[in-house]
Amino acid sequence: MLEKNKIKLNNIYALLVVVVLAMPLVANNYVLNTFSDVWFYVIVCLGLNIVVGYAGLLDLGYAAFFAVGAYTTAILTTTFDMNFWLTIPFAMLFAGISGVIIGGPTLRLRSDYLAIVTLGFGEIVRLTARNLEITGGSSGIYGIERPFFFGIEMNGSIHFYYAFLMLAFLAIFVSFRLQYSRLGRAWQYVREDEDAAEAMGINRVRVKLSAYVIGAVFGGVAGSFFAVKMTAISPETFMFTQSILILLGVVIGGMGKIPGVICGAFILVLFPEIFRFVGDMRLLAFAVIMLIIMLKRPQGLWPSRLG
Amino acid sequence: MSTLDIFFQQLANGLILGSFYSMVALGYTMVYGIIKLLNFAHGDIYMVGGFVGLITLSLLSPFLGAGWAGILVAMIISMILVGLLGVLIQRIAYVPMLSAPRLSILITALAVSMVLYNFVMSMTSGEYKAFPVDLGYEGLEFGNVFITYTQIILVSSTATLMLVLHFFISKTMYGKAMRAIAIDQDACRLMGINVKTIIAMTFFVGSALACAAGVMAGVYYGSIHFFMGFLIGLKAFTAAVIGGIGSIPGAVLGGLILGLLEAFGTQLPFIGSEWKDVFAFAILILLLLFKPTGLLGKTEIERM
Amino acid sequence: MLRKSFLVLISLSLACVLTAGSSFAAGEVKVGIMIPTTGGTATDGKDMESAIKLAVDEINASGGLLGKKIVTTTGDDACDPQQAVAAASKLISEGVVAVVGGYCSGATLPTLKLYGEANVPIVIAASNSTALVGANPGIGFMINSTGDAQADTAVALFKSAGVKSIAIVHMGEAYSEDLASIAKQKWEAAGNKVVAYEVVNKGEQDFSSLVTTIKSKRPDAVFWTAYYAEGALLIKQLKQAGYRGTIAIGDGSNSPKLIEIAGKAAEGVYCFSNPTVDYLPAAKTFAADFKAKYDVAPGPYSTLSYDGMKLLADAVKRAGSFDADAIKKALQATDNYEGIAGPISFTDKLTLARSNFVTLQVKDQKWMLHQ
Repeated sequence: MLEKNKIKLNNIYALLVVVVLAMPLVANNYVLNTFSDVWFYVIVCLGLNIVVGYAGLLDLGYAAFFAVGAYTTAILTTTFDMNFWLTIPFAMLFAGISGVIIGGPTLRLRSDYLAIVTLGFGEIVRLTARNLEITGGSSGIYGIERPFFFGIEMNGSIHFYYAFLMLAFLAIFVSFRLQYSRLGRAWQYVREDEDAAEAMGINRVRVKLSAYVIGAVFGGVAGSFFAVKMTAISPETFMFTQSILILLGVVIGGMGKIPGVICGAFILVLFPEIFRFVGDMRLLAFAVIMLIIMLKRPQGLWPSRLG
Repeated sequence: MSTLDIFFQQLANGLILGSFYSMVALGYTMVYGIIKLLNFAHGDIYMVGGFVGLITLSLLSPFLGAGWAGILVAMIISMILVGLLGVLIQRIAYVPMLSAPRLSILITALAVSMVLYNFVMSMTSGEYKAFPVDLGYEGLEFGNVFITYTQIILVSSTATLMLVLHFFISKTMYGKAMRAIAIDQDACRLMGINVKTIIAMTFFVGSALACAAGVMAGVYYGSIHFFMGFLIGLKAFTAAVIGGIGSIPGAVLGGLILGLLEAFGTQLPFIGSEWKDVFAFAILILLLLFKPTGLLGKTEIERM
Repeated sequence: MLRKSFLVLISLSLACVLTAGSSFAAGEVKVGIMIPTTGGTATDGKDMESAIKLAVDEINASGGLLGKKIVTTTGDDACDPQQAVAAASKLISEGVVAVVGGYCSGATLPTLKLYGEANVPIVIAASNSTALVGANPGIGFMINSTGDAQADTAVALFKSAGVKSIAIVHMGEAYSEDLASIAKQKWEAAGNKVVAYEVVNKGEQDFSSLVTTIKSKRPDAVFWTAYYAEGALLIKQLKQAGYRGTIAIGDGSNSPKLIEIAGKAAEGVYCFSNPTVDYLPAAKTFAADFKAKYDVAPGPYSTLSYDGMKLLADAVKRAGSFDADAIKKALQATDNYEGIAGPISFTDKLTLARSNFVTLQVKDQKWMLHQ
């Protein structure tokens, strides 16, 4: 019976993959753009899921990593005329470094204090971007050139749809591999019982730091692509509310569960769009639905493993 | 103005701003102390408080005028109403979640915050509402330092409310029960304390205080809007953490310190006022690194 | 079971969004409106939307555009860059021939690239950061003067008022920082001093420490470059702290709400603004019609929005087709189009050729034209 269900489920997954791959054949620009956003949030939510879901570290400043990636690409392509693809390793590097900077000092802190410190770091990054000359101040950086992919200029919704879709697949793959890796099990152990984990010879500091760094790298890469998709970035995009939104996606879907997190990202982007027909009340409708979901399913939408 | 004058004026500015932070931080810290919940909707309660205050004041002003008497009555009525709203939110959103993972309750609090925020936004269509009071600028002058009567009344009423709270918590039976629940809920239940009622009461008191701060902000600054709770909620949370979350004197202290940090932050040498929030957050982070439980927080061994 | 129901839920929402595309009726032509209808600037945004719809009604009543009826569709940019991009791509997908709108400069900025790639002209009614000029791929037509023109007006006023040193305060977003930095440049180029250049955060209520800092530097004038809500609080607190110098504010603060919130403190405050209904003889009927239709007085950017829509219609008529290139060409060739807010022609950078800024002053709790 179980085996049969599994096959069925796999069929459904395969069908979904075909659907998302073929979607640009039928969908218009708006739908493609909306779904590029969905894949984008899938990537960042999976990144945050590593920090929050796998390692159990509350992070209220995740937008900072995403900002570091976006700004790195924006500055390198505009001020230094660098090729977009070459900026990605730099974005990953700088995001990773910021992960160490944020992760390092916070390792001693209890979860609630961790929340405020990560929040503080997030705000510091945003305000620094707002105040510095090189980041373009409040107007941010605009006129970021579209990248070329094997000679094709990526200037249509369809290009970014596939770019973000591929990145999302990559993020899902990496998340799966991580979850069942040695490191993934160590995260789980540290999350469930830090002291016991340490007693079993797990290097607590290294394990927690690697969660921050890997989570940050996800955000950094997503940020890079975000910058070229938007062609203009400004500090307003990296406000506290952005971090909250990403966290919402992770928890609504069911943190620590990859299909759950993907589901969360879908809700995050699609619901406010679907509610456009209610006009000014659309965000209220979205908020009420969020509340109902949390009350009905405190563990997140995706059901826990049955049996 | 001499440097000394500036110092005293900024000191006064910081303490006034800080007393607002303290009032809101108290609600954060009380709720945290008793059910270990970071109530992110608290800033929005402050905002709703401002609006309820505006409505009651405009209903009352034909009878009592928009002077201090009207403001006082309006404030008391709105404190009761918003206190009840706090209890209602607790009943609807937090009671069913008590056994859920802690992060889920946190997200529920965020969802409640979004509901309140978007509700008021829809109701006011995002407009700023002016408070129909004009209290004038008369005040006392100490050398070059100028403090208006409104400011004096404001700070003294905050102090009064905090003293009442202090008395309530340290002397009354309810206050003692509150403190006992923060230590051990199960033991309290066994001792015959009605835990549910006391938790509801904590929400009532915390929300009423935030409402008082919201009404005062409306009266003092002269306008209210749907997102005024966002920034102050963030700041009050910070203040509560600086003081040691869960500690009531800590919240007051944290609020005042944060207010002072910000006031003197605009006066930073070499770098401009645009860095004042970076400065405040950097101090917060440094403080937590050296004293991970905040200034007056108790170290406790925690299992997550 | 549960999993399946979630998959169904997701597919349903997929279907919902997929079918949210365009529906076209023959004999109709679609024009997009991009403004914030949610968030803190929703009031001004909706006001602009109402004005544009009023213009559309008038055009339709007099036979439509090239024989077709205009229908509008609104994209909510929420004054946020990310949402603006979503709104713009929604408008483009719905097949609009052109867009009118643009309130927050920061939100309008990233959409220009999209409109450029889709070749959809946009008449920008309010946004006026100079950053927009550089980012414009030849499709944005700005009918509000830019920060440059406003800063000139400000410098002229300060000079005539005998001001020697000023303090500038902005709010750390695209529009107000742009205006602040241009004003600083121009004021210093004229050989004067900027003694303080400060920033406040959106949503803050207490500016007392900033006021103390400003007061201690003794500027002859304070120039606030952002929006009315925080502006009103700043004015009030400056006066409360005993500051008696000149106070001036930018066009984003031009609102009756400013006076309502600041009360007596607003008396004597200068505002540089595009002309609002009260000072435009040509706008009398517009104001009356607006009031009759919506039962509120038209707000600060209503005249420009109305003109933007009418100008677009005029350009389409001159072009004789709905082809984007033809419309762009016609818009560019606009020669002193008589709008209710004044004549419109464009520079080669597609900004308004003349400065439309006037100086207003609060007298007896009302905005009056300052001579």
